[in-house]
Amino acid sequence: MIQMFHVTKSYPGDPPVLRDIHLDIQKGEFVFLTGPSGAGKSTLLKLLFLAERATSGQVLISGKNIARLRESGVPYLRRNIGVVFQDFKLLKNRTVCDNVGFTLDVVGTPRDVVRQKVAQILKRVGLEHKIDVLPPKLSGGEQQRVVIARALVNDPAILLADEPTGNLDPALTLEIMDLLCDVNTRGTTVLVATHDASLIARYHKRTLRLERGTLVAEHDVGLKAAARMAAG
Amino acid sequence: MSAPAKAAYFGRTALLSMARAPFIHVVAVATIAIALTAYGLARMATAQVDKWAAAIAGEVEMTVYLADGTAPEEAEKLVKALTQQTQGQAKLVSPAEALGRLSESMGTFGQALEGLSKNPLPWSIELNVPPPSREPATLKTLAEQARALPMVTGVDYGEAALERLTALSKGLKWGSVLVFGLVFIITVVIVSAALQLAIHSRREEIEIQKLVGASDRFVRAPFLIEGLIQGALGAGLALAGLMALLAWLGPQANEWLRFLDVGGGPAWRPEWALEMLGLGAGLGFIGSLLAVRRFLRV
Ligand SMILES: Nc1ncnc2c1ncn2[C@@H]1O[C@H](COP(=O)(O)OP(=O)(O)OP(=O)(O)O)[C@@H](O)[C@H]1O
Ligand SMILES: [Mg+2]
Repeated sequence: MIQMFHVTKSYPGDPPVLRDIHLDIQKGEFVFLTGPSGAGKSTLLKLLFLAERATSGQVLISGKNIARLRESGVPYLRRNIGVVFQDFKLLKNRTVCDNVGFTLDVVGTPRDVVRQKVAQILKRVGLEHKIDVLPPKLSGGEQQRVVIARALVNDPAILLADEPTGNLDPALTLEIMDLLCDVNTRGTTVLVATHDASLIARYHKRTLRLERGTLVAEHDVGLKAAARMAAG
Repeated sequence: MSAPAKAAYFGRTALLSMARAPFIHVVAVATIAIALTAYGLARMATAQVDKWAAAIAGEVEMTVYLADGTAPEEAEKLVKALTQQTQGQAKLVSPAEALGRLSESMGTFGQALEGLSKNPLPWSIELNVPPPSREPATLKTLAEQARALPMVTGVDYGEAALERLTALSKGLKWGSVLVFGLVFIITVVIVSAALQLAIHSRREEIEIQKLVGASDRFVRAPFLIEGLIQGALGAGLALAGLMALLAWLGPQANEWLRFLDVGGGPAWRPEWALEMLGLGAGLGFIGSLLAVRRFLRV
């Protein structure tokens, strides 16, 4: 579903942010992407929905190299990928309904259907009563859940979540993680970037670790961490 | 995926954008309205001049003055020739008849003419030119042909006035093309500046729309519709203003025009309203297209 070969990303004038990345995520997998701040987690996710282009190497989604995808093809790629942005990207002067509905608007969904689907997804993240509220009147955790709702309202094949629990208390974190797992069991491939070790320890999922732009460990980091926690 | 849903979305977004930044949109609409009001006024002025020219041409009577001592048969022959050539009506007028008319037209001053011992007026032929020959150019040729005849001392018709009016009408038309070319370019620049501001104020929304899969066309459409709406609003405003002006001016204008015996007052034609609406929408659309092309880096 998601593959990278020899992927390097550098911003002009700076040393590479990502170096020779190889990865292969199967359809229906749930994968954590972890690593210290500045390691390049967000950048790696951006390469997948073409917010940034790889400097070199191949980025494959469903077997298609998107690193060379022409601009006119980008919208179609993005309609199949839900993204939970680290910085939320919510419009302050639009209601929760409008913000979540953007994902449906761009494919020409009728207004009443948009509202109906938004109401459904808000219910799943526990915010159905906030549908007509402006984002600044929501708590950080509520805003986070609105962003998750926007990423999921379209039933995407892939969900990329950049620190989706960064602003949540432990109880809500579990709720949201359960939601992401639920989405995953319904068939969506999920990639979660997080530096929350306890999260990785609790959910026994495949974990990729980035350090200074390089993938340093693969596979069973999460399992090892869990074992360590169980032992210690 | 449905087109009506998209159209509704674009319309809603455009109106919302106008409501959120009313000032810049008022400026754009006002600019279009002013330009189109000027255009409508020029349209009416040109039509009025054309009308005067037509009215004057319609009254054209050519007077051909004959030399003293022209034989009556010669004169009759010329009358026939002129009648045939122009398909109009020609009439031989005696000096006495001409003097009588002159004194009559001068009113009380005319009585002074009765003291003359000798009639100073020559024999003349009055020619009423029918419509096909009323063109300034045709009349000129006809006058030159008549002047060339030995028995003719002079030819008189509304030459100067007619030519001046024709020139005025032409000048007005070309002047309008030039002036309005310029006015419309300025309008487009102002509209596109307003749209630039609208784009700028919505850049965050555009970024998010793009990130969740909006195509470039989807992002651009509302701005183009905004331009169209602005143009139509501007045209509507200009039309309302002109109609009000006409209603207010109507009776007075008729008074002023009575001395010209033209009548009808300032004419307005319904098709001009369509023309103005089309122009307004066109100006708004081109303005927004420019803004979108140059400033919407999506
Ligand atoms: N637009 C940009 N231009 C230049 N450098 C950038 C840009 N975006 C990110 N970087 C750099 O790339 C590196 C990786 O950034 P990135 O946001 O991917 O880190 P991250 O792993 O997501 O960190 P965090 O956990 O803090 O979110 C950082 O050193 C950052 O300074
Ligand atoms: Mg990050």
